[in-house]
Amino acid sequence: MISFIVFSLRRAWQGFWRNALMSLAATATMVLMLLLLAGFWIIQSGLLAGLEYTEQKVQVVAYLETTAHVDDVATLRETVEAMPVVESVTYVNRDEALERFRERMTAQGRDDLTPYLDSNPLYASLEVRLTDPSRIREVGDALRGATIVRNVINIDDLVDRVLTVTGVLRTAGTVILIVVAIIVLFIIVNTIRLAVVARAEEIEIMRLVGASDAFIRWPFVFEGAFVGLLGAVAALGVLGFAADPIGRFMVDFFRVLPLSFGDLARELAILVLGAGVGLGILGSWLSVRTYLIR
Amino acid sequence: MTAAPTAATLRDRLAGRAHAAQAGTGEAADRAVLVLHDVTKTYPNGKVALRDVDLVIPEGDFVFLVGPSGAGKSTLLKLLIRDELATRGAVVLDGDDLARLPRRQVARVRRKIGIVFQDFKLLPRKTVWENVAFALEVTGTPGRRIRPAVDRVLSLVGLTGQASQLPTQLSGGEQQRTAIARALVHDPRLIIADEPTGNLDPLISWEILQLLIRINELGVTVLMASHNAEVVTALRRRVVALEEGRVIRDEIGGAYHRED
Repeated sequence: MISFIVFSLRRAWQGFWRNALMSLAATATMVLMLLLLAGFWIIQSGLLAGLEYTEQKVQVVAYLETTAHVDDVATLRETVEAMPVVESVTYVNRDEALERFRERMTAQGRDDLTPYLDSNPLYASLEVRLTDPSRIREVGDALRGATIVRNVINIDDLVDRVLTVTGVLRTAGTVILIVVAIIVLFIIVNTIRLAVVARAEEIEIMRLVGASDAFIRWPFVFEGAFVGLLGAVAALGVLGFAADPIGRFMVDFFRVLPLSFGDLARELAILVLGAGVGLGILGSWLSVRTYLIR
Repeated sequence: MTAAPTAATLRDRLAGRAHAAQAGTGEAADRAVLVLHDVTKTYPNGKVALRDVDLVIPEGDFVFLVGPSGAGKSTLLKLLIRDELATRGAVVLDGDDLARLPRRQVARVRRKIGIVFQDFKLLPRKTVWENVAFALEVTGTPGRRIRPAVDRVLSLVGLTGQASQLPTQLSGGEQQRTAIARALVHDPRLIIADEPTGNLDPLISWEILQLLIRINELGVTVLMASHNAEVVTALRRRVVALEEGRVIRDEIGGAYHRED
């Protein structure tokens, strides 16, 4: 068994270098295809994170009557928090509301006119974040039903539209990624097939002298895996080289979005290595099968 | 003399009691290396390549397979190495019924056959020695057994001195001898030679023939497809003639062409 593996590995290694041009062409194709796949993966991850970020921004704001008793507010808050679609509830009292208003004015560079007010004209509010923005109506209706609630800003239609757009983008992104993955699959498998076909005579001779399927197949499978590994490492090298400038360029992007650079890099490494080695093996396996005993 | 179907059943032949009467020797072969019984091969496109072929080759025989192109010689050889399966009938090689052979056993049975082709089929980037050793390596022979086996067959075919040369540095005859050495290195029961002299000039052809005869004298059965009328007629061995997929002649000491 061990001698068989040693034999296969040695033959794979020889096979790679004896057809160096073909092997390097296959590896180069592998690198380009993996970079393409990785690129679309990054775009898709960014897109998904962006969409999630957008959806997280959806919140229901209920303004409370100035007469509302503290206990009533607490009760309402607990009721709302108990709803399964609610992620968190923030209470903003009137002073905080005024403070936020001032900050907003300052940020926009306008004069702060609040000192001229006799009293605080703003209302306290409950800000409800949702785990599932598509169920905004449930929360809105529950809040509207409470007596201490003055009014709820009606953004149901707006949320629906946003969700339609994010849904379409999410589906489109996934479809494009799948299409790219299939293209990559076919190109890699076909490239490896070319490398195997170039050695059809060798396989033919192996068959005729009575080599078993395993002895014919495994050296090619190992060679395919080797091409995949080499291609994946080279592709990761290119990505690693590009990661620093891209990372710096996108610092803000990662700070805003719920996306960790480390996680993304790890997933990407697994994807590229897995796709490279996996497709290398798959390509060899399928290509050699044509020549095995019928 | 035309091949007549023998009375012996397939079971008898499998048991090694095949009668050589069909071959006309009058003496029973102890063991048939190859038995074809009522073999018909129809290709998927409907072309019938072989019809009701009966053939028994006893151990140690030297048989010429002759016939015009398209007579079914190639199909017959493909059946023997189980590249194709008979549509009907049985092909039994050294006791193994090829139609019933599990896929996993095919490689093992192929090692009982050594094949030599018109175009040699040598690997151009391997030396003579490596080409011969290749046949053992890819069948999982331990390294320590490879060297003596390769050296032995190379000396048998007279190529010890050329062991480290590449096929491109060899003459056609030497290339074919390399191929014969490769075919022999497994100690096969049967050598199948498909037009082995087709690419060689007459003198070299005789050399190859002499080599095959010597191998036959060492006890290896030889089945050689040939178009070389001169050689076939001169050697007066057993001749099996195919035409349109049928065995039309099977005689000991025959000529390339029918003589009566």
